[in-house]
Amino acid sequence: MSARAASAEVRYGPLVAALAALALVAALASLMVGYARLDVPAALADAFAGRSTAAAVVLEQIRLPRAALGAMVGFSLGLAGAALQGLLRNPLADPGVIGVSGGAAFGAVVVFYSGLAGAFALAMPLGGVAGAVVAALLLYALVGRGAGTMTLILAGVTVNSFAGALTALALNLSPNPYAAYEIMFWLMGSLADRSLPQLWLALPLTVVGWALLLASAPALDALTLGEDTAASLGFDLGRLRAQLVAGAALAVGAAVAVTGAIGFVGLVAPHLLRPLVGNRPGRLLLVSGLGGAIVLLVADVAVRLIPVHPELKLGVATALIGAPLLYSLIDRMRREA
Amino acid sequence: MRAIAACIGVALLASPALAKPQRVVSLNLCADELALRLADPGVVKSVTWLSQDPRSANMAAKAAALPANDGHVEEALAYDPDLVLVGPFADPASIALLKEVGAPVAEVGAPQTLDGVRRQIRDLAAALGAAQRGEALIADMDARLARVAVDPSRPRLKAVVLRPNGFTVGPGSLVDEILARAGLDNLAQRLDIAADEQVPLEVVALLSADILILDRDEASAPSLADAALDHPAIAALARRMTIVSLPARLWTCGGPEVAEAVERLAVAAARAREATQ
Repeated sequence: MSARAASAEVRYGPLVAALAALALVAALASLMVGYARLDVPAALADAFAGRSTAAAVVLEQIRLPRAALGAMVGFSLGLAGAALQGLLRNPLADPGVIGVSGGAAFGAVVVFYSGLAGAFALAMPLGGVAGAVVAALLLYALVGRGAGTMTLILAGVTVNSFAGALTALALNLSPNPYAAYEIMFWLMGSLADRSLPQLWLALPLTVVGWALLLASAPALDALTLGEDTAASLGFDLGRLRAQLVAGAALAVGAAVAVTGAIGFVGLVAPHLLRPLVGNRPGRLLLVSGLGGAIVLLVADVAVRLIPVHPELKLGVATALIGAPLLYSLIDRMRREA
Repeated sequence: MRAIAACIGVALLASPALAKPQRVVSLNLCADELALRLADPGVVKSVTWLSQDPRSANMAAKAAALPANDGHVEEALAYDPDLVLVGPFADPASIALLKEVGAPVAEVGAPQTLDGVRRQIRDLAAALGAAQRGEALIADMDARLARVAVDPSRPRLKAVVLRPNGFTVGPGSLVDEILARAGLDNLAQRLDIAADEQVPLEVVALLSADILILDRDEASAPSLADAALDHPAIAALARRMTIVSLPARLWTCGGPEVAEAVERLAVAAARAREATQ
């Protein structure tokens, strides 16, 4: 497999440029595609001229945040997936599979239904981040360094179901009697009818998370040589772990607080792109983030084109792609073992 | 037990006692409100906790004085009821259990027309032995509806409804008839949708309605479903159309309170006409 991967390796600079261009095209497609017939050039002209026509409102307040959030959340999930996989040295470490997204959803739900979200604007993304941190720490305590796949998956199942149960408990305790019903629409993950303020709230936390994750690239490359070698090369592994857990929690937590838990993007993007960067986890980070953005934007365009009413949830679409992939990955690992 | 007597509005699943029921327990918010309006004082022994919240219920003051239940059969049986009221989506197992222990059950439905509203009031009033009070309630509702005069010569305003979670209301629903009574055309008729369906916000924005009706309570517990109604695009559209909030309690149950929904919409329509002139 490593020989095949090596032969598939392409030059890093052009690869990043190509993926960035593809992500941009996907974001533009997301702006163009919608339910209502929208004259995009005319709406754009109205928007720049400051005329608040209905078309300009739709473009600025509905389509633009949807496309931008799709790119941001996809990048976060792809990047966090690649980083966690590098840290745990296991290709199955997806934020959704291992329970980080579930923890984030719990944090966001608690903040929202307790009414804290109304107290200050950043409360909901911060709640998502706090939930993601707790889940990541719990998981790391269980899995430790370089634990087997079985332990990782079982730990993920445990964290996920515990977070799910706590979410249900929080909903039961909320003052809104219909909370348990309406959360069904949210937990599956969606970008429908999100707004610009939600983007501005999530963006700063997300960018800090990205910076922490991307900065870990050299240490992740060193880690492939083994922990002792990495330590002898001068990398502080304790610091690396803290940096990656914090980075993943910030990026994934802020994303989940806005869109709900969208699974498998952090699994699919690194898996497809790993051979192209010669299995170097450091290089995989940025590439996988861009890949995640492309995957999520394309999935979000697809759910709007599929004639199903009401709209297919984005988390359902990514699961339809991702779950068979996870299955085949586990199957292959089982046979290789 | 006699044969099942079924009506459209109120299905009597078990025979009502020949005498007036004296111990009525309601396990559904909509049934709570109608029973409190119709039954003799002291007859209703327990209502659901939902109807005690003044933000989402019409009869909260009366309901708050009664013991609340969570809609469980067990709670109802504790009052040794001679009539149990259940809602349209009651668990069949609950109804079967009530029948098994011999408690008479009446089902309060969700009427989809104003005629259905009248029929439901009449049927439940009969079951409660309060036919006169039922007729008075219907007459009062009809009088209020009649006072909302719609000038047929003027062009009708176009309206669209946005409910929590991005649902709108299509043709063939009670809300559609409420809109028509207030002199409004429901734009959802153009969308080729069923009575209750989710619509993307961008479709609503581009419908060029005169009035956007938001189904929302004045002050309610935090709700993700309501968050769709707080979208800044709606605020931006406020410059182009009249936006009116109509609390869910006025039009969810299909009780006599729908008259107030029609009145409020008629006032909003008048405001929209002024704004466009």
